[in-house]
Amino acid sequence: MKKSLFTIVLACVALVASAQIKKPELMVIPSDAWCIQNGYYTEVANMGTITKVPNYKQALQENMGLKLAIAKLNDLMAERQFPLKSLEQEIKNLEQRRMEDNLTTSKAGNDLAESPLDEVARTAKCDIILELTWDVKDFGPKHSLSYILEGRDAYTSKSIGAASGTGAPSFTADVDVLLEEAIVANMDNFNNRLLDHFTEMQTIGREISLDIKVFANNAAGIDLETEFGDDELIDVINNWLQLNTVQGRFSMPYASENIANFTQVRIPVYDERGRAIDANGFAKGLAKMLKKEPYNIPSKVLVKGLGRAVIILGEK
Amino acid sequence: MLVMALCLPASAGLRQKQANRDTNQFRYEIECAGNAIQGTYLVKVWSYSKKASVAENQCRKNAVHGVIFKGYGGGQGCVSQRPLANNPGVETQFGEYFDSFFADGGEFQKYASIMEGTTETIKVGREYKVGCVVSVRKDDLRKALEAAGVIRGLNSGF
Repeated sequence: MKKSLFTIVLACVALVASAQIKKPELMVIPSDAWCIQNGYYTEVANMGTITKVPNYKQALQENMGLKLAIAKLNDLMAERQFPLKSLEQEIKNLEQRRMEDNLTTSKAGNDLAESPLDEVARTAKCDIILELTWDVKDFGPKHSLSYILEGRDAYTSKSIGAASGTGAPSFTADVDVLLEEAIVANMDNFNNRLLDHFTEMQTIGREISLDIKVFANNAAGIDLETEFGDDELIDVINNWLQLNTVQGRFSMPYASENIANFTQVRIPVYDERGRAIDANGFAKGLAKMLKKEPYNIPSKVLVKGLGRAVIILGEK
Repeated sequence: MLVMALCLPASAGLRQKQANRDTNQFRYEIECAGNAIQGTYLVKVWSYSKKASVAENQCRKNAVHGVIFKGYGGGQGCVSQRPLANNPGVETQFGEYFDSFFADGGEFQKYASIMEGTTETIKVGREYKVGCVVSVRKDDLRKALEAAGVIRGLNSGF
């Protein structure tokens, strides 16, 4: 009796836990403009063009103001029960993992299997990027600090909200003090916008982007124009999205026989069994439907985080 | 003498009630008074009453009311702030809670303190306009409102 009661309680706890919406991860990074302005970048030759790429590791190692700003933002967000993911720690973890992977071999001397895609995927990731910029202007003996904190959805690239402003000119020469003041003064406004974004997500669903691609010369012999009855495969996918998105909200800015991009796809935060879902879970639902009769299309679902998924049709 | 002794507290009570009604009708002004330390807002509140001391007492209540329902504008180095309650209907929806919260001697007192030496009194017609700089402990206030279910926390739903 006791055992069955315990099982029921455990099941209830598991149900409540699974009913929680997946919490987005937030990370503060210095903006490209700030990194380039302060000399924290590396030049990369890209198809004959020199591109400046921010060097976050160097910025974190050499700029105390940046470390202070990130620590302050983390402190304020933790106070709202939303601790940030640390950029510095992520960079360290990536390096550690890379080193461990390089040193891992089997008894037979085989290295770890890793596809080029796995290698690309091994970058610092989060769901919402908080881009930080600040600049100090001098007005005679006084200094004033301009500050911008912009939140961006990492998958849809949409701006979630920003808090910006220029502080009153002050005789304080310490940039760190001005920066701390600016962060404290602007954080509530930023958090209000973040709260609006979360409320919208909980009301009309999580916004994701979904890409459908086709393996070239795939074994199933299909592309997005393959016909099933009166409908092409792209119509079948469109119909499924119409039924499974919140209020049928999505748009298809581009489609060809090989690729279809779906943006502004509003997915429900829970599935029909009350479990929290993200882009990956949603894409798997579509892949399962396509695997069944009459389509019988195998596919590969690539995980890109909470808000982006890629399905490649034709093979596993 | 006896009649006067009975009437004086009654008239003070009436003035306080009038001041409370003024607060409910948003009859006060709130503006930023500078950058505050972390966890607080520094606001200047202008309250109205026929008696200057009543208006001064009302400053703390108006400051907390303003931070919850009105917010304030920025400028001159000050950052404008939205009200803690984003939903305008919340005051009516949680009427009972706010009646007790803003009652004389109510919970609002915990979240506001008048900065000493900042009171200004101006006679406007037949009443006084009293301005005070008030420090409002907005982080604690927000936590209390979140705990009471009046406003949503950033973490709610996750």
